[in-house]
Amino acid sequence: MVRIGIDVGGTFTDFTVSESAGGALFYFKTPSTPHDPSEAILTGIRTILETRGIAADRVSYLGHGTTVATNMIIEGKGVKTGLVTTRGFRDVLAIGRQTRPYLYDFLKQKPEPIVERRHRIEIGERVTASGECLSPLDRGELEQAVEALLKDGVQAVAISFLHSYRAPRHEEEAERFIRARWPELYVSRSSTVLPEFREFERTSTTALNAHVGPKMAHYLDHLCADTRTLGIAVEPMTIHSNGGLLPVEAARRFPVATCLSGPAAGVIGAAIVSSLAGVPDIVTFDVGGTSTDVSLVSGGQPRFTRSREVAGHPVRLPMVDITVIGAGGGSIAHVDASGGLKVGPTSAGAVPGPAAYGKGGEYPTLTDANIVLNRLNPVALLDGRLPVDRAAACRSIDRHVADKLGISTEEAAYGIIRIAAANMARAIRAVTVEQGYDIRTLALFAFGGGGPLHATEVAREAEIRRIIIPREPGTMCARGTLMSDISLDFSQTLLERADDAGWGVTTDALRALTRKGDAWLESETIAKADRVFNATINAYYVGQNHEIPVSVSLSPMASVETFRADFHRAHMVAYGTCFEDRPIAIVSAGVQAVGRIPKDSPALLTGGGPLADALKERREVYLGDGGWQSLDIYRRDLLAVGEAVHGPAIVEEMSSTTILLEGQTGRIDEYGNIIIDDAF
Amino acid sequence: MSDAARPADSVGMEVFSNRLLSITEVMAIHMMKSSFSAQIKERRDFSVGIFDAEGRLLAQGTHIPLHLGSLLGAVETTLARVALSEMRDGDSFICNDPYLAGGTHLPDIAIVTPVFHAGAIVAFVANIGHHTDVGGVVPGSIAAGAKSIFEEGIRLPVVRIAQDWEVDPNLLAVIAANSRLQDERALDLRVQVTVNRLGCEQTRALFERMGVANAQAAVQDLLAYTTHRLIRHVAALPRDRCTFESWLDDDGIGGAPVKIVATVWHDGGVLNVDFAGTDGQVAGAMNVSENALRASVYYCVKALLDPDLMPNSGLFDAVRVMVPPRSVVSPHFPAACGARSITCQKVARAVFGAFRGLLPAEHVIASSNDVLPVISLSGSHPDSGAYYVYAEAVGGGAGATGHHDGMDAVQVHVTNSLNLPSEVLEIEFPLLVEEYGLAVDSGGSGRHRGGLGIVRQLRILCDDTVLSVRSDSHKFGADGVHGGGMGAGGALTLHENGNIRTMPSKVDAMALSAGTVVRFATPGGGGFGPSHTRAAAALARDLKNGVVTREAAAKDYGDVLKVADDMDV
Repeated sequence: MVRIGIDVGGTFTDFTVSESAGGALFYFKTPSTPHDPSEAILTGIRTILETRGIAADRVSYLGHGTTVATNMIIEGKGVKTGLVTTRGFRDVLAIGRQTRPYLYDFLKQKPEPIVERRHRIEIGERVTASGECLSPLDRGELEQAVEALLKDGVQAVAISFLHSYRAPRHEEEAERFIRARWPELYVSRSSTVLPEFREFERTSTTALNAHVGPKMAHYLDHLCADTRTLGIAVEPMTIHSNGGLLPVEAARRFPVATCLSGPAAGVIGAAIVSSLAGVPDIVTFDVGGTSTDVSLVSGGQPRFTRSREVAGHPVRLPMVDITVIGAGGGSIAHVDASGGLKVGPTSAGAVPGPAAYGKGGEYPTLTDANIVLNRLNPVALLDGRLPVDRAAACRSIDRHVADKLGISTEEAAYGIIRIAAANMARAIRAVTVEQGYDIRTLALFAFGGGGPLHATEVAREAEIRRIIIPREPGTMCARGTLMSDISLDFSQTLLERADDAGWGVTTDALRALTRKGDAWLESETIAKADRVFNATINAYYVGQNHEIPVSVSLSPMASVETFRADFHRAHMVAYGTCFEDRPIAIVSAGVQAVGRIPKDSPALLTGGGPLADALKERREVYLGDGGWQSLDIYRRDLLAVGEAVHGPAIVEEMSSTTILLEGQTGRIDEYGNIIIDDAF
Repeated sequence: MSDAARPADSVGMEVFSNRLLSITEVMAIHMMKSSFSAQIKERRDFSVGIFDAEGRLLAQGTHIPLHLGSLLGAVETTLARVALSEMRDGDSFICNDPYLAGGTHLPDIAIVTPVFHAGAIVAFVANIGHHTDVGGVVPGSIAAGAKSIFEEGIRLPVVRIAQDWEVDPNLLAVIAANSRLQDERALDLRVQVTVNRLGCEQTRALFERMGVANAQAAVQDLLAYTTHRLIRHVAALPRDRCTFESWLDDDGIGGAPVKIVATVWHDGGVLNVDFAGTDGQVAGAMNVSENALRASVYYCVKALLDPDLMPNSGLFDAVRVMVPPRSVVSPHFPAACGARSITCQKVARAVFGAFRGLLPAEHVIASSNDVLPVISLSGSHPDSGAYYVYAEAVGGGAGATGHHDGMDAVQVHVTNSLNLPSEVLEIEFPLLVEEYGLAVDSGGSGRHRGGLGIVRQLRILCDDTVLSVRSDSHKFGADGVHGGGMGAGGALTLHENGNIRTMPSKVDAMALSAGTVVRFATPGGGGFGPSHTRAAAALARDLKNGVVTREAAAKDYGDVLKVADDMDV
């Protein structure tokens, strides 16, 4: 069987292919096609099948991370969306949490609501906080509302009523009514998308789901048809933000969950690869073209958050907790009028790109700095497929940085790298402290095209001792897609005390959520033995506002005493303190339903030739205080297991370049990772 | 740019600046995570900073603009009161008083800690936390009606609170005993000392790593760079004197309106902000102490001229603040100054207004809601019998800019606090939310319309529910600019048995009975440009969206309405 993992990025679409159990992986990249992302996917699969001589019917798995839904939200290109809501509350999306997005800059505005006010229609219905009906659903008003929306060209409708997390009857009734009358209309209701309290976040998530729904369905139909024409029998699955996979039908119903899917797959992959390597506590460090993603993995488990925004709109679903810094390979360095040198957050992006790529890029980027110093191959990247114009990079850095500061080209280029490293190290320190971890106990797991290029400097700046660099780091997100399982999260607001009575309600809810998840996995024809359910309770001390997630056992069902003890411990980790005599409020319960899908065991490497065989060339490289030095450049795929490369040296492979500084040693482990134990 | 002004080492300065910010971030995260009170932990009402040995601020971390530079007074006073030779490694100093120790109001307690390297002080670290209760006549220690600082809580001059990192238990006991929440005070003050210890260790490590001389060179570069960057913006402004006045509805205890006047000009080097003409200090607690005023002014300068400018002494050095004696912005001991926040918003309105004459048209913004209205309802909960307090600071409209309509429903200037979701409100309190929406027609008319205020309409479900409101701008709406219209003021009405009662902006503990409806509307923002220049399509969209009514449009937009009526948008 052949398994293909795909990650669609802004510049490149990456592929990782597993052709047999225990066999080596095959990595591939092709330029992305933003006008129609499936074009690059098709081109890539076709090329892989041809060059590897794989029959299409041997493909047993196709998984992909895509930014289709995210881009629709960022660019406001979903369909015209309507909202029907409770009388008195049409402006919930406009008020939001009443904060401004930038503390000091009034010229930067908060985003327009995803649904225009005239398409936010109030109808008669009301239930109280305890679920009691104050006034019934006014079907006449509902009918008029939807008719008015359709007349105005609305193509998707969100339903969100006050307190529907507790009493969804009116929303259910409204959905049934609309579906019966307008069966073709795309409808999302808040009590299925997110049955949790806090009306703004719930309504926002539901409205976004409706906004991207019709076009996402179209994209998936298109992609399925295309892969079928290639002769592939399986349907492509989509990675979603919790790092799990959604089969086509679930992605169609729940497209908002696919926002931020690509980076999540990278973290899932990193957690598995680092655990296999015996280093389960890591900070992932994914340096891409426009940004750097940082995430913490402890005990081999990624961490999740539920407070994320896409283009300023909250999406309150469990997501891999990734911090994004505006510094990547394409980040532009500039000198301001007072002589300050800044790197980013403006990025040259894929177009025009770095000056050295010859696509019209005028301004110097971090990538240009690496090329000028010969840290990156100054002739060509991507195994020779991406030619590089070093002279153009030098000219750009001279004109825009070196000349303005009165320093040499090398000093300017190295300064850009130092500033980027200081900026990245600062974000890594903040993430680890925020999560309550001591940075000295964590390893830096570097991937993305630029991660291994900067990892050693960043580790020294942040005082991290150990670095792990996986094989072909530039396609790690595609590789992560090969390691994931299908999953979907089900949640319910409870607002109970963690006492015996409240625990009864909570465990009933957990069982009900598990049944929901089980029914979904059944519908996806996942065998009973492959179904796994992970339960989480979100809770805080009475009087607090921010809930903390606590994992609980479903079988045997955890006792309230165990839960309370676990909560105190979790509070201790999160906040450095706990209050054992204070009552605990259980805010919500969540169950993640996982359907395990068969995967190949990872390849264990052995042997390999002598180090001299891996030596590709020697090149003059600028190393800051050390000046220009002649460095050994190695080909990564020829480094033998157990081999040690001593810095200063450079290791090159198709999708990335690893820099080893003076005093650092990179060892190749049996999975092909480079492990650096003396980074700081 | 002349070579003299250029940083000696631009790369080193930027790396150093990132390292300093990393320390303030780590301090801030620890402060937020390990403190006990909701005010610090949940509302992040605190700030942390690093100073050099001379007491110049190098880097600050805060989520609240009103804290900008608020640590400065504490460090300056510590240096003035305690000789360097008297300080030891492991010492920490505490203070809060506006008159004795450069504080902004008594609940904000500062801790200052020297950083030693090789036997000498190379830096200071400091933090301020807003303590929920420091005594005084009302719970929470902030009463608009307080008539002297002695009614506002415990006063702390600069005193040593820790030696060898050990907190003085006697002093701690005295402070805690003056609070209604003793345990929380004692715990949080210990946390503040611990946070400084952490910041101290990391700052010391930074100086060791870089070498003291290199670090001092980077400090020099950083401050000079910040000043130079601000002065560049200042020098580009015309050399005019521009004045603007703003008004408080009253003095906090029902008196006459209070005027605040700001005059702004520059001489190419320093930006002057003069409050001459401002009314005298008031009888209530609406007075603004010196450092709260400076913070408000620094906030305005950063927001108006360079939002990304690092808040450090380089910024402060380029700004001179002048005040008339014994005014509402320079109160004389022992005037009360606990309820300064609303006045600070009006200070921001005056400074933003004065700058309009200096800034290029595209950077000008009309006045925003410029209040920080707090509405509260309290009583005993029918389910539990327990005493409850619903209190919320409600946002309003922002002013229109040369680029867009003003933002609807936001907090402006010195604060940015979250709302309370209506579902949470109904879950926790015996109140029914009848409406939570935008205040229609509240945005000032103009080429760009002012943002809309918020309406909160609540039905009281139990007898003996007590209403208190500390608001403003019922009498004075947000000014438009370049011919734009004024935003609607705030309004508070009570609806009982068919009668509507209009209330003033300050209500002190008024008992309401079940069935009464409280409707609270916050002000909208001012408009930008004359209303006859508004694009007809924009007006047509406003009408379709129901944010402007036909009646208001007929009055404000005249002929544009006729064109808008024929448009399909």
